Amino acid sequence: MTDLPGSAAPGIAEEELVEGSSLWKDAWARLKKNKVAVGSLVVFTFICLFCVLGPFLSPYDSNAQNLFAGAEGPSADHWFGTDTLGRDLMVRVMVGGRISLMVGLVATVVALAIGVIYGATAGYIGGKVDASMMRFVDLLYALPFTIFVILLMVAFGRSMWLMFVAIGCVEWLSMARIVRSGVLGLKKQEFVEAAVSLGYSHSRIILRHLIPNVLGPVIVIATLTVPAVMLLEAFLSFLGLGVQPPNASWGVLINEGQANMEIYPWLLLFPAGFFAVTLFCLNFIGDGLRDALDPKSAKD
Amino acid sequence: MSATTGNPQEDFLVLDDVKTHFDMGTTLFTRESKGVVKAVDGVTLTIQKGEILGLVGESGCGKSTLSRTIMQLLRPTSGHIWLKGRELSAISDKDIRSERINFQMIFQDPYASLNPRMTVLDTLGEAVRTRHPELKGDALRARVAELLRTVGMNPFQMKRYPHEFSGGQRQRVAIARALAPEPELIIADEPVSALDVSIQSQILNLLKRLTRELGLTMIFISHDLSVVRYISDRIAVMYLGKIVELGDAETIVDHPLHIYTKALMSAIPEPDPNLERNRHRIVLEGDPPSPMEPPEGCKFWPRSPAGHDERMRREEPPFEEISPGHWVSNCPFCVADNGAS
Repeated sequence: MTDLPGSAAPGIAEEELVEGSSLWKDAWARLKKNKVAVGSLVVFTFICLFCVLGPFLSPYDSNAQNLFAGAEGPSADHWFGTDTLGRDLMVRVMVGGRISLMVGLVATVVALAIGVIYGATAGYIGGKVDASMMRFVDLLYALPFTIFVILLMVAFGRSMWLMFVAIGCVEWLSMARIVRSGVLGLKKQEFVEAAVSLGYSHSRIILRHLIPNVLGPVIVIATLTVPAVMLLEAFLSFLGLGVQPPNASWGVLINEGQANMEIYPWLLLFPAGFFAVTLFCLNFIGDGLRDALDPKSAKD
Repeated sequence: MSATTGNPQEDFLVLDDVKTHFDMGTTLFTRESKGVVKAVDGVTLTIQKGEILGLVGESGCGKSTLSRTIMQLLRPTSGHIWLKGRELSAISDKDIRSERINFQMIFQDPYASLNPRMTVLDTLGEAVRTRHPELKGDALRARVAELLRTVGMNPFQMKRYPHEFSGGQRQRVAIARALAPEPELIIADEPVSALDVSIQSQILNLLKRLTRELGLTMIFISHDLSVVRYISDRIAVMYLGKIVELGDAETIVDHPLHIYTKALMSAIPEPDPNLERNRHRIVLEGDPPSPMEPPEGCKFWPRSPAGHDERMRREEPPFEEISPGHWVSNCPFCVADNGAS
């Protein structure tokens, strides 16, 4: 160690340091002030707990049929009623919610992982590599999603996990575009130039200096991707390509419900209600996060 | 190698006819060249260890491009750069990374030059570890504290984030980051132009003190001659990618030879209002020519009030030593005494 002036440096004890307030902390403080977002977060948490823990507490099995108790309206025994095969609808909504939420989560994580790394690499390298990488994204964009999924299903057989991957593979495209444009803007900032002139490796610059700075918009997009993915799953299940009966997802339940909606409306109302509330919550949380992470974009 | 070039083996930093050109590419359909911007067009310069060289010139003259070329953030189109006998311009892109700890840069905008997601400790710690990868934990923190004290900051603030500091404090952190790898050469690219005037002098004094105490060599870039005059040992005046005048700070300020230097000097405001009223100003005509199509001959003829004859509109004037250590682009029309010194 060289002797810089003023180097009579005694050890600096960790606890004496003034704790800084990171941009994440500031954003969290702003988010807490947003009543709609916090309310949505609470409701969403309840729905998650309801779906995850609910089936353990319920006396009914989600696939157990009871043809004598077919399609009864809500009652003290069956709070949400039963479906045409006498299955308890509440348990089926819980179990279906598990699948729908898991699809949302897994597919978003897949999209996030691929999109962030792909987009950051393209933006950081730039030039011809960037151009060809992004043309590949455009190409995939042009591919009709349904046909892509049908092809996958035909090739690999119907599997829930395959559907997760298929959705993730489609959703990462917009993620990659957003990350790339963010990185392109950041790359010209002086702190990235400083990182280059300090001789840091490319992976270090991408992982420590670029990605943390585009994470704000990425988190917002991710929260908005979750409902989009859940809708896609519902759509695929509706077409019969996704989750297969007797397994349930909210999409499957809504599909079954709409078939009988004139006679047994509760079969549609309960799953559709849960689905709609979840989508609302996630969208409000996403909006709240956007305002909190980028206060300049907030309208008020 | 011209007479101005130093000895790469003996002198600290030697630039020999460095050119950095930017190819603007070709048009989409006809494939015609869109031209080449000659941002740095033949700079030859020698800098001794421990000196502060001021580099001045107006916007777009190539100051920043030259600094980034020396930093090897841009690689020169042609020419050579030696630092302590090592030819930087010949080192491959891959190998240059490990050389970078020897030369560091202080950037213009302290609001953009620090990573907003990293604490001061993270930023400085990361930079310290380029030279001392073995440091971590308490030892690393002690070293960061030492750096912060060196630049006049409270070390107990090291866990704070850039947005919690003022512009002047951020620039101090940026200076600490440049010092962290223990470089010998520092290039300061307009380090005070984004700061309040009251903060500028503090930062200038800090840079001056650090250069002396740590035995650094500094290239100080600015468009503000009064700032450069204060801090520099020698001054180089740049115009359209070339150096037009070079000499001791006092000589350049008190006895400028080139009309362009005189014009720059006459633009420094005088604090005394009586003197200010009588100040003789040389006002240049027009804008600097485009670096894509620089004029032939003396690059100054389209703007010079003295007018140039046919010969100087074709031939480039030689860069000559008029008196010991005082070099000028010796165009008879630009260097003639126009009574403004």
